[in-house]
Amino acid sequence: MPGIRTRKSSATAVVLALCAMLGGCSGPQESGGGGKVVLRYTWWGNPDRAARTQQAVDLFEKGHPGIEVQTSFSGYDAYKQKLATQAAGGDAPDVMQLDYRMIDQYASGGVLLDLAEQRSALDTDAFDTGLLATGKVDGRQYAIPQARGTETVVYDASQWKAAGVAPPREGWTWNDWADTMRELARRTGEPGGTDPGWSEDAFEVWLRGRGKALYTEDRQLGFTAEDLTRYWTFTDRLRREGAVSPAEETTQLDGTVENTPLGRGRALSDNNWDAPASGYLGLLPDAEIALAPMPSGEGGTPGQYFKPSMFMGVAADTSHPEESVRLVDFMLNDPQAAKILGATRGIPVNEALREEIAPDLKDFDRTIYDYQASLEGELKAPPQAPPSGDSALQTTFQRDYDQVSYERMSPREAAENYLTEAKAELRS
Amino acid sequence: MTTPHMPTTVRGEGAAPSARPARRPRREGAAWVFLSPWVLGACVLTLLPMAVSLYLSFTDYDLFNAPSWVGLRNYTQMFTEDPRYWRSVGATLTYVVIAVPLQLALALVVALALKNMRHGKAFYRSAFYAPSLLGASMSIALVWRAIFNDGGTVDHLLGTGGWVNKPGWALLAVALLTVWQFGAPMVIFLAGLQQIPGELYEAAEVDGAGRWRQFLSITVPMLSPVIFFNLVLQTIQAFQVFTPAFAISAGKGGPADSTLFYTLYLYDRGFVASHMGYASAMAWVLLLAIGVVTAVLFRTSRSWVFYASEGDR
Amino acid sequence: MLYPLAWLLATSVKPADEVIASLDLLPGRLEWSNYETALEGVNDISVGRLLGNSLLIATGAVLGNVLSCSLAAYAFARLRFRFRGPLFAFMIATIMLPHHAVLIPQYIIFNQLGMVNTYWPLILPKFLATEAFFVFLIVQFMRGLPRELEEAARIDGCGPFRSFFLVILPLTRPALITTAIFTFIWTWNDFFTQLIYLFSPEKFTLTLALRSFVDASSTSAFGPMFAMSVIALLPIVLFFLAFQRFLVEGMANSGIKG
Repeated sequence: MPGIRTRKSSATAVVLALCAMLGGCSGPQESGGGGKVVLRYTWWGNPDRAARTQQAVDLFEKGHPGIEVQTSFSGYDAYKQKLATQAAGGDAPDVMQLDYRMIDQYASGGVLLDLAEQRSALDTDAFDTGLLATGKVDGRQYAIPQARGTETVVYDASQWKAAGVAPPREGWTWNDWADTMRELARRTGEPGGTDPGWSEDAFEVWLRGRGKALYTEDRQLGFTAEDLTRYWTFTDRLRREGAVSPAEETTQLDGTVENTPLGRGRALSDNNWDAPASGYLGLLPDAEIALAPMPSGEGGTPGQYFKPSMFMGVAADTSHPEESVRLVDFMLNDPQAAKILGATRGIPVNEALREEIAPDLKDFDRTIYDYQASLEGELKAPPQAPPSGDSALQTTFQRDYDQVSYERMSPREAAENYLTEAKAELRS
Repeated sequence: MTTPHMPTTVRGEGAAPSARPARRPRREGAAWVFLSPWVLGACVLTLLPMAVSLYLSFTDYDLFNAPSWVGLRNYTQMFTEDPRYWRSVGATLTYVVIAVPLQLALALVVALALKNMRHGKAFYRSAFYAPSLLGASMSIALVWRAIFNDGGTVDHLLGTGGWVNKPGWALLAVALLTVWQFGAPMVIFLAGLQQIPGELYEAAEVDGAGRWRQFLSITVPMLSPVIFFNLVLQTIQAFQVFTPAFAISAGKGGPADSTLFYTLYLYDRGFVASHMGYASAMAWVLLLAIGVVTAVLFRTSRSWVFYASEGDR
Repeated sequence: MLYPLAWLLATSVKPADEVIASLDLLPGRLEWSNYETALEGVNDISVGRLLGNSLLIATGAVLGNVLSCSLAAYAFARLRFRFRGPLFAFMIATIMLPHHAVLIPQYIIFNQLGMVNTYWPLILPKFLATEAFFVFLIVQFMRGLPRELEEAARIDGCGPFRSFFLVILPLTRPALITTAIFTFIWTWNDFFTQLIYLFSPEKFTLTLALRSFVDASSTSAFGPMFAMSVIALLPIVLFFLAFQRFLVEGMANSGIKG
């Protein structure tokens, strides 16, 4: 079949071209239709966030008649995969919302624009330097944090009161927390809280309380198998005592409040991020939901920190870098936009705007604002964005702890497993 | 055995259509006309991406930076240094062995029952297909999880406790979700049954053949191409089971990796951990494994699949 | 059999605190606001438009699959040509590679063709018989037809094209209808491909819009999510009810003319 043969050889040529392209060259650019500059802006989130973002974008378009912004959004998991596919295909949107764990990978993969190139269009004066630094990789500012969140022990104050257990006091330590969990379990017969052994985030808080960190500055592991063994032994003992949730509950944690032991009515507290904790209001209408700080290290060193909950970044191969950065600047700094956006992405990092919107915050946004305000000045600076291997290690952490809580491995074995995998992950 | 026609060609070949010297050369050109859309699609949309993924399987590729050639490292790492890989292989094989026979048997039995039903056929057919309309969406996974959880319906009825949160049981719960959605093979069986000429049964009736005899000598052989199709396709799809487990375990394949199926782990490596080279290598190993299983199925089919176009043996 | 579906329906009208906690099938109180929430997000774009987009894609896919897959199947099942065996094996092999492995190369191809954010990536592949599942399905049905059909047609002076359209195709109707039904339902439900290739919300399909607008990671959205599933399900239920009767009217009684 001569026809087939020609097809085959031309196919080979295209494959070679494709491989070359996979090497980072960009796909076709969308050029502005009708003389207008067209920007694509994507984020993840719910309908409320979408409606408010669209309003803010409309305002931006009004102020910049030459720019048209096409927006698109989806749920978080879908967004992550779509963005990865687009970026790998050289087709990343001009302006994108990013997660803490994406920064390192997207920046080192050449997907993100070094924002210093457009310094004149972007004002970062109102941003805390510590938080701003979380968007830096190798000293370059690739992304700007938009909002911040922090971890919290969420609990039902009325249940605690009924059980006769004192509410968390400020500056409580991990030992105080463990005693409280035991006390709750003893008095109510239910576990006191979610087993924190499954959560890399909780481990980080524990580790920082001991003066260590998940990762070093040069993106290697900041702790030893000894540290992790100690942490998992601590949580494993609490689990065996029934002070925290059993394996069958813990394994179901998937990031939704519905599947937490507290949400399922099988524990009296949860450790979670502050923003999603609002979900408990609908789930437990009779509860009196309160937020307490995470436990500190035994020396009183706080482990939790203000963590950027989302960032904005610009594609390195955008054809309109200046306009894109202008849009970022507008979303982050414009007071009118801030009024519209409110706390839909969390409490803003921009300090001036945070003050500005504070009086208008209602309901649980207010609770979170007050909770964060109570920690202001107490916490240490956040670490730099985690190395790209961390997104895999977060799941590995949960998987290895599953082996501990189902008693298939000892804390030491699981910790050593984790360390082996983590080192392999960070090497590549 | 009642066969409508005598065979025109006696073929010693297997069930797979095989190359033969063109008996009617005039049709060679016609064949390529019929095939032209497929050839175009296969070259541009299928062969090309497959070739790229094969190439990537020999590289270290993190999605964004240029792939770098590492030879067989992904493959050796998979086979020798990754205990989780082998756990995923074990889970997948267990799943295939449980889900495929159960689903096919159920689909066949229900299709036969529906065929012989006089009243309410449309209602039952729709009712049995309804679960498949949903697909393995997020919400059906949540329903499944609620039913098979501690204090859920199954726990309530059988007192077994939760299934989805126990390492030994979770896989069964996922397999049951697949079995429950047996609508697709059922509809295909139904379509196959429709194609069996009624005269065959009438003739058998005249010969005094009983129902069971009719089933064995008419239904089974006449339906065998369709049974074979369902067997091959459901096996291939079972090896690639992804969505139900992904949705039920929130992408983790838990508890304790017990539902970490092959493609789930592949997705995890490729898109969560950004090791697309490794994921591509996993994909090609899976292709080879399924290929071997399918080839064996095709080989055995020579002895039990009957094609009217090729006469009986 | 239908219990989980009943559960789904019941839960879609349950208030948040009963969604997971309660075993009772019947909700304590009806919470229609789940449906309002599920539809709220799509307010900007009319549901009619989303429905139209979904229908357009699904109909295009059905036409494409029925046409291209039956053409290819006819060649594989009833014509002789060189490399038939190897090509058939290759076709089956294409369904053995997990789609995650070819996702990015495919995206690059469609991006290079300038087809991202159009419906082409969703419809064009169907016209090129890329779904080997259906080719193989129709092959199996065609091989079940006696060879004499074409012999007779040939004696009557029909070439392969006329015998395909006039003799074989009508007799393969059950398989074609199955192909049409599955293609419609699977395309309708194919959230993932639509997600990857569509960017502008006004091009979104019903499935994509509903799933994007009800974000599982936002707070307490299980109730609206179930409501959303029910809404997304309605059109395909209607479609199935309308077309499933064709499955009955196969050739059982039409017989085969010898």
